[in-house]
Amino acid sequence: MVLVFILLVFFGLALAGLPVVWSILATTVLTIWSFDLGHPLETIFLTYIGGVEPFILIAVPLFIVAGELFSRGGVGERIIRFARSLFGSLPGGLGIVTVASCLLFGGVSGSAIAGAAAIGTVMIPALTKQGYSAAFASALVAAAGTLAIIMPPSIPLLVFGYIAGVSVRDLFLSGIVPAFLFGASLMLVCVWYGLKTGCDRGGQRASGAEIWTSFKDAFPALLMPAIILGGIWSGFFTPTESAVVAVVYGLLVAMVWYRSIGWRDLPSLLYSAFLTSAVVMAVVGATAALAWVITVEQVPMVMTEWVQTVADNRWTFFLLINVFLLVLGIFLEPLPALVLTAPLFVPLARLYGIDPVHLGLVMTCNLAIGLYTPPVGGTLFVAAKIGKVSMGAISRALMPLFLVSLLVLLLITYVPALPMFPVWLLR
Amino acid sequence: MSLLPTGPAAPTPLRWLGAFVDNAIVVLGAALVVVVFSNVVLHAFDKDIAWTTEFGELVMVWTTFLGVSAAVQRNAHMAVTELIDLVPEPRPRLLADGLVQLAVAGLLFLLVWKGGVAADAGWGSEMSVTGWPQAVQYLSLPVSSAIALVFVVWDLIQIGRGIPRQQRYAISGVNTA
Repeated sequence: MVLVFILLVFFGLALAGLPVVWSILATTVLTIWSFDLGHPLETIFLTYIGGVEPFILIAVPLFIVAGELFSRGGVGERIIRFARSLFGSLPGGLGIVTVASCLLFGGVSGSAIAGAAAIGTVMIPALTKQGYSAAFASALVAAAGTLAIIMPPSIPLLVFGYIAGVSVRDLFLSGIVPAFLFGASLMLVCVWYGLKTGCDRGGQRASGAEIWTSFKDAFPALLMPAIILGGIWSGFFTPTESAVVAVVYGLLVAMVWYRSIGWRDLPSLLYSAFLTSAVVMAVVGATAALAWVITVEQVPMVMTEWVQTVADNRWTFFLLINVFLLVLGIFLEPLPALVLTAPLFVPLARLYGIDPVHLGLVMTCNLAIGLYTPPVGGTLFVAAKIGKVSMGAISRALMPLFLVSLLVLLLITYVPALPMFPVWLLR
Repeated sequence: MSLLPTGPAAPTPLRWLGAFVDNAIVVLGAALVVVVFSNVVLHAFDKDIAWTTEFGELVMVWTTFLGVSAAVQRNAHMAVTELIDLVPEPRPRLLADGLVQLAVAGLLFLLVWKGGVAADAGWGSEMSVTGWPQAVQYLSLPVSSAIALVFVVWDLIQIGRGIPRQQRYAISGVNTA
């Protein structure tokens, strides 16, 4: 009953236009008042503060700062040039370049929306010039942009690690294979589209010298995922420290190596990054307060009993999670969705003998798809805005990309060895 | 000339308040980077700044909540606006905006009031390493909520004057996407 009330009030307020952070806090307060639960609001608001306080979560703004540095530092264009030299000659080549660029950019930014914006600004006009429809070009960027939150360093995986008490290193490792699988499936759609419409049948292959030159230019940026993963994997950095190393490395690359930003650009860059972080972290903190009420009212226990009557094995349980998160992901951004649902799902997953690392990855992939599922989604809005296409047109163009992504989601859900292989190898 | 994006048009005291919040976010953010990175460097020499974690958490909380008030001023909070955008301009939309802002104002009032009570109770307990009162951290919520409340009240005044949202948030200059 409490959970139904919470869902109805939250969605009612959010759909009425109340910002998500206030919708969550208002839902928390109204639940306490309506059911006369007696929890002091002071305690709730301290939980709100506590939700943004943990040291590991400092990595969130720091990774956003690093992403801003790489984004404004001209890394996007260099990565595109490198991807173009590698894949530009294939059928659907320009589409493949878009996906590869999003994948590589994801490795340095960790933000889906930053990736969609940085790559989409350059690639959507290039794709439409080549003959791709503006709707398909925008849909492709909306879908490929989300690779950033699956490819390490991934901010949602980091937050899941904190909530579930799971190794962030293992979570980052589990994201590598799925990111490439999602990327490859989107690339196949590009090949099909290029051949079917005849707009991009492939062209001349780049010379070895061209590939080498573009690689050298993009190399400092491409090195960053290795530094982060290597640092965490070797135990030299904690996730938070790896994030600050990414910031300092980003400063060196953007200011010293590429010389694309100067000291005077730093205040606005820091401001923009910390404002973005504040908007996200406030929602995370508010969700922590709501999750506290849900937990204290024993909703997870009631839910556990219900789920066990519906799902008698791990596969049915995973199916339930996939359907639920795909729907939730349409309305909620990945971070608040994780904060709200992870405390419910992690104990359940343990009952079914599911590795929490695998669960975190599947949850993040679901929520990544939610970022471009119409009618609401972060990368969907950004790409539609850049491509100047209507929500109806981009939604239709998304269909094949959405279908292949669902297939990959099922694959990584039901063949755990695919995402978990690197984790098992290095555990 | 300011190195930060210009805020929306407002009376001078509100613009000063907005500029103070914006600059505080930058200074605290830069301090966070410097302190956490210094600790990484010291690790290389098997040394550690004991207060890094506590100080980092304190700065994180203040940066986040000041960022919340800056986002209120710039209308930059995440929201599902698909339905409210269908409300016709100008009067019905102004009414809808007014109702949303009234709800936000009510919630912010609660945050100032109850957050203030919680902060007040925090003067008696100390943080474990720095020894600073816990209230220093808890104050971030009522203080930033009070600032946000000022911005919301100003928005309600503008709504009362019939100023559409495109004009109210004309110069935000920040992309929080």
